[in-house]
Amino acid sequence: MPMKHVILLIVLCLPAWGCDTYPKDPRNTLKTATGGTLRVGYSENPPWVIKTDSVPTGIEANLVKAFAATLKAQVAWHNDTEQNLFEDLEKQKLHLVIAGITDNNPWKKKVGLTRPFVETGEKKHVMAAIQGENAFIVRLERFLHEHEQAINARVQP
Amino acid sequence: MKQLKRFEFPEELRPDFERARRLEWITIAYLISTAITVYLTMGNSQAMKTAWFEDLLSLTPSVSFLIASRIFMKSPNKNFPYGYHRVVSIAYLCSALALFSIGAFLVIDSATTLVKAEHATIGTVVLFGYPIWLGYLMIAAMLWGTFPAMILGQKKLPLAKKLHEKNLYTDAKMNKADWMTAAAAIFGILGIGMGWWWADAVAALVIAVDIVHDGYINLKQAIFDLMDEIPKTVDNQTTDPLLDSIKSKLAGFAWIKDFRIRLREEGHIYLGEGFIVPNQEENLTLLIENAASEIQSLDWRIQEFVIMPVRILPED
Repeated sequence: MPMKHVILLIVLCLPAWGCDTYPKDPRNTLKTATGGTLRVGYSENPPWVIKTDSVPTGIEANLVKAFAATLKAQVAWHNDTEQNLFEDLEKQKLHLVIAGITDNNPWKKKVGLTRPFVETGEKKHVMAAIQGENAFIVRLERFLHEHEQAINARVQP
Repeated sequence: MKQLKRFEFPEELRPDFERARRLEWITIAYLISTAITVYLTMGNSQAMKTAWFEDLLSLTPSVSFLIASRIFMKSPNKNFPYGYHRVVSIAYLCSALALFSIGAFLVIDSATTLVKAEHATIGTVVLFGYPIWLGYLMIAAMLWGTFPAMILGQKKLPLAKKLHEKNLYTDAKMNKADWMTAAAAIFGILGIGMGWWWADAVAALVIAVDIVHDGYINLKQAIFDLMDEIPKTVDNQTTDPLLDSIKSKLAGFAWIKDFRIRLREEGHIYLGEGFIVPNQEENLTLLIENAASEIQSLDWRIQEFVIMPVRILPED
């Protein structure tokens, strides 16, 4: 491929950079959830996720509620074991899994982990989304970044 | 034991050889810098990990060139009567194998990504307090992998032909492989941004086929050179026209009735023998000596040409 063509193609792709809808999701997770339902799987792991009689609470559960509100989405909660949640996430039955998981989770090759949103000692905490749903993950990571200070305040004693 | 003369490039080619060495040092520094850039931006991306692995492997030709260049000029001695030229062919084999491996690895890697339908996850990274899409950073890192590699490769090609340096030629091909995979990765990442999860793997697969092709041709030639195939040109693996010049030179001597020659390549240089049926016995030793030195002066690459007088030509 001559250099001219490379430059030409890069220039042609440039308009996509400024776009709001870039990157996009291959499976439209963000579109489906926005104004619709965000399907979230959770497994108890205090203080991150705490099971109650109704909806879960805890640091991560509260973050998900606030995130869903920015998308004007209802949250459909599913409680299960971590193993079952990750299997469902891999099959795209869920949009998001929270269970106080960290970035060295062995499922990281099959799901899409977010960038760590808080560190406690050696542990880097993340949430798990569907693999390759980049628009959704980018939106979620931006949300978590905006709340970084509030999260830190809750974690540090 | 009769040893070869000590080999050095002819006076007019020495500056070219020095330029080639400088280019290879620049290549090493450059490849290390791209490996670091890619490492810093790779995140969880499998495609970027592949690019990183490839950067490390693509150091092989330049490193082997520099190692070989410290060895091949050593004087022949009683343990190495033919000198150290073959080290160039060995370096060529290493480089060609590295090029072929990169191609083969890329084919397998991108094919499995497609078959398994692995969707690349590219999230954000915080830069100056603001989270931006890591894909943009990867593209920037990959741009550093294209243009300098392109220029380095272009500069090496003419030198490789002049110096009869097949290893340098393979390194130019390696630079081509480098910039093409980097360009493919850019399109792949842009494609992923468009929601086309397969874009990265497809782009890599297309480029990989080309790399396998270059790798295969050079790997084959490197093996054939070590198996004493007749000398082939650097750029397109055709029989060196120098063989015809030798034949027409010998045919021009009135005292030679018939002859057969054979040549082989040892790195930069050629060694060979000519079996001749002389027309006359008178002055034969002197005639042979003169003929041999005339042939050796045809080209710097003909390092030693031995002429053997026979009554009947050996069977082919």
